Amino acid sequence: MVELSTEIMVDVNNLNVIFDKNHIVHDVSFEVKKGEIIGLFGISGAGKTTIIRVLTCQIEKKNWSGDVTVTNFSPDKKQNHPLILYNIGYVPQLELLNLYYDLSPLANVEVFSSTYGLDTKEAKKIAQELFKILDIPSDTWNKRVKHMSGGEKKRLSMAIGLIHKPSVLFLDEPTTGVDASKRYSILSYLKKLNQKLDTTMFIITHDLEAALICDKTAILREGRMLEFDSPQNLINSLPSNGLIARFEINDLNEAKITRISEFSPVKKVLRVGNEVVEILMESFEENLPKLIQYMIERGVTVNSMSRDSASFRRFFQIRIQEEEEREKLRTNIGEA
Amino acid sequence: MRKNKRSEKKISKVKFQRSFFRIIRQMKKEFLLLFTDKFNMLLAIVVPPLVIFLFGFMMNSIPEGIQPVDCVVISYDSNVYVDEGTFNESLRDDFTLPYVNAANKSEYLNLIHFYNATEEIYAMESARMMLIASDIKVIISLPVGFSEFITLGLPGLIDCIPDASDIKTIQDTLNAVFDSVKTFVNDNNLNPQFQLTGYEEFTIPEGYSFRFNYNITLTLSFIVFGVSMVLTILVVVQEKPVARLLLTPVKRSEILISKYLTYTLILIIQVILLIISTLVCRLYLAGSILDLFIALFTIGFTGLSMGIFISTQSKTKTEANQLFFAVFIVILLLSGIFIPIDAMPIYLQVIAYILPLSHGDPMIRGIVTKGKSVFGFDFFALLILSIILVLISFIIFKRRKYEV
Repeated sequence: MVELSTEIMVDVNNLNVIFDKNHIVHDVSFEVKKGEIIGLFGISGAGKTTIIRVLTCQIEKKNWSGDVTVTNFSPDKKQNHPLILYNIGYVPQLELLNLYYDLSPLANVEVFSSTYGLDTKEAKKIAQELFKILDIPSDTWNKRVKHMSGGEKKRLSMAIGLIHKPSVLFLDEPTTGVDASKRYSILSYLKKLNQKLDTTMFIITHDLEAALICDKTAILREGRMLEFDSPQNLINSLPSNGLIARFEINDLNEAKITRISEFSPVKKVLRVGNEVVEILMESFEENLPKLIQYMIERGVTVNSMSRDSASFRRFFQIRIQEEEEREKLRTNIGEA
Repeated sequence: MRKNKRSEKKISKVKFQRSFFRIIRQMKKEFLLLFTDKFNMLLAIVVPPLVIFLFGFMMNSIPEGIQPVDCVVISYDSNVYVDEGTFNESLRDDFTLPYVNAANKSEYLNLIHFYNATEEIYAMESARMMLIASDIKVIISLPVGFSEFITLGLPGLIDCIPDASDIKTIQDTLNAVFDSVKTFVNDNNLNPQFQLTGYEEFTIPEGYSFRFNYNITLTLSFIVFGVSMVLTILVVVQEKPVARLLLTPVKRSEILISKYLTYTLILIIQVILLIISTLVCRLYLAGSILDLFIALFTIGFTGLSMGIFISTQSKTKTEANQLFFAVFIVILLLSGIFIPIDAMPIYLQVIAYILPLSHGDPMIRGIVTKGKSVFGFDFFALLILSIILVLISFIIFKRRKYEV
C-alpha cells in the first residue's frame, strides 16, 4: 500500500465566487495532500471549472472570497501568481489550446519548457522520459503534431503539462473526445504518471469512470460541494455499505416501483434499465429474502436476481437524485 | 541597508535574465512557426524583391524615347475675318501652313490629319469622332484670324481640345502641343510674350530609367508597408495556445515583445533585400543608403505595428482580415495617390496626415531624388504613429481576457 504524504498542496476554505451578482460557487472547502488524485465531478454548471480557474490564478480576486492556498501560495496576491504558475501544470480539454500543431512534439516541449527557465537539453531529457511513459512513438517526436493521432495528441498534451515536473497538475476533461476503449488507457496513464512522479492531480470531468483512479472525489452541484471523500468511503456511506440487489422484473412500471419502495427496509429503488431495478436497503443479508417474499406476495414477478456492490457512478446518481428531490421539496414548501 | 539594496539588485538582475531568456525562446517559436508556413515565408522574404525586379524589368523595358501624341489640326484661319473697328475683310492664312509644318516637325506630336475647315465644313465633327475612337489624343484648332492676329503682332490664339478621359496623359498632351508652338515661334522668328529659360533640378540623370525612378518611391512604400501589415495581422489572433501559455510564468508583455522583435528582424531582412533589388534595377539614389534604409524600416515598422494592433484587438481571424481590408482601403484612398492631400477638405487632410502612407512616398522621394535626410516631419510623424500603435497593442493585449 502506498502511503500518502501529509503535505498539503491545495487548501480551500469557504470559497465563494460571484460574477455580476451571480453566485457561482458557494462555500466550498477541501484540502488535497501531496500525491493524491482528486476528481471533481458534476454536471454542467456545477462550478468545477470555476474552482480550478481560481486555483490557477485565472479569476481576479474581486470575483472570489475565501482562504485559498496552492502549493502554500495564495492566488489572492498578484505577486504570488508566477510562483503558483511555476508549481502547477495545466492540461486543457482541447489539445488545440495546448499544442502548436505546426511544430513537432519536441519543439512544443521547447516552447513550454522555456517559459519555466528550463534549458533545451534538460527539457528534452524530461520529455523523452515522459514520452516513454506515455507510449508516444519515437518516430513522431520530430514530425508535426498535426500528423499525430487523437490519442497521441492527448498524451503529448499531458506530457507538456508535466514538462517542468509540477507539484500539482490540473486536467480538464482528460477523457473527453476519446473513444471508450482509449478512455481507460488514458486513465491508466494518469495513474502511472501519478505513481512515478508523485504529482498531485486534479481531474475535472463528466466521466464518472475517472473515479477509478481517484484517491478522493468531490461531487458538485450548482456551485455547492455535496461530497468530498474517497470513492470507497462514499460508496460505504450507502445503506449496507453499498450492497445492491438487482432485479429483472416483468412489465416493470412506476406502480411496481412504488410498491417495492413501500417495503420499509428499502432505502432506494433505481430504475437502471427497461425491466431492471437496483435496490439499496438496510441489513441487506437479512432483508433480501424478505424483500423477495414481499414482491411475490404483491404480484411483482421477478425474472432474475443478482447482487453487487454499488459503483461510484451509482453513488453519484443517488446523491444527485437525492439533492434534486430535496430541492423539489424545498420549492414545494416555499410555494405552500 | 546596503546588503538589502545589493540583494534587490541581484533579484532584479535575475528577473531580467529570466525574462530575456523567455523572450529569446518565444522568438525562436515565432521563427519556427513562420518557417513552417511556406506562404508567409514567401511573402516575407521572396515576394518584395521579386516585385521590385518585375517592376524594374517592366519599367526599364519600355523605350525611354518620346512617345509622340497623335493629333489632328483644323484650320479656320482662311475663313473671312472682319475687323470690327475698320470693317476691313481679311482672307489671310499665311501662318496656317507654318504651324502645320511645326506640328509635323515636333517629335512630341504625330499629326494624323489636317483639315481646312473652309473646304471641309464637318471637320470638327470628324475630328471629334476620331477623339471618341481614341485614334487621336488632341484636336488642335487654329481659329479665324489666326494669321491676321500674328501679323498685327498680337498674341496668337490656338484652341487645344485634349482627350481628358485619362487624367494621366493630359499633361503630356499639353506639353506636346506647347512644343509645337515653340517650334512654330522659333521657325518663324515671332516674338513670344514670354520666353522660359532655366534647367530642371532634381531630374533623373541620363543612363537611369526615368519611369522606374519616378514610380519606385511609391511602390517601395506600398510593398514594405503592405507586406509588414499582412504578415502580422494574424500573429496574435490565430495563436490558439496563447491562453495556455499564460498559465505558465511567461508574461503577456514578453509574448508581445517576442512577436515585435521577430517581425522586426524579418523587416530588416526585407528592407535590405528591397534596397539591393532596387539598386540592381538601377535606382538613382541622390541621398544615402542609410537614410533610405531608415526610411523604409520606419514605414515597415508602422505597417507591422498596425498589423499587430489589428491582431490584438480582433477576436477571430475573419474579424482581423475584414478590419485589415477596411483599414488598408482607407489608407490607400487617403494616401495622396489619387487626390493630392492638399486638395482634400480640411477634415480629410487631418485624417490623411495621421495615416502612414501619406508620409511614406514624400519621405522616400525626398531621399531618392533630392538627397534629403530621413529625419524630417514625415519620419517623426511615422515614428509617433508607430509608438502610439505599439502602446495601444500592449494595453489591449494586457487587458484581453483569455480562458483555457
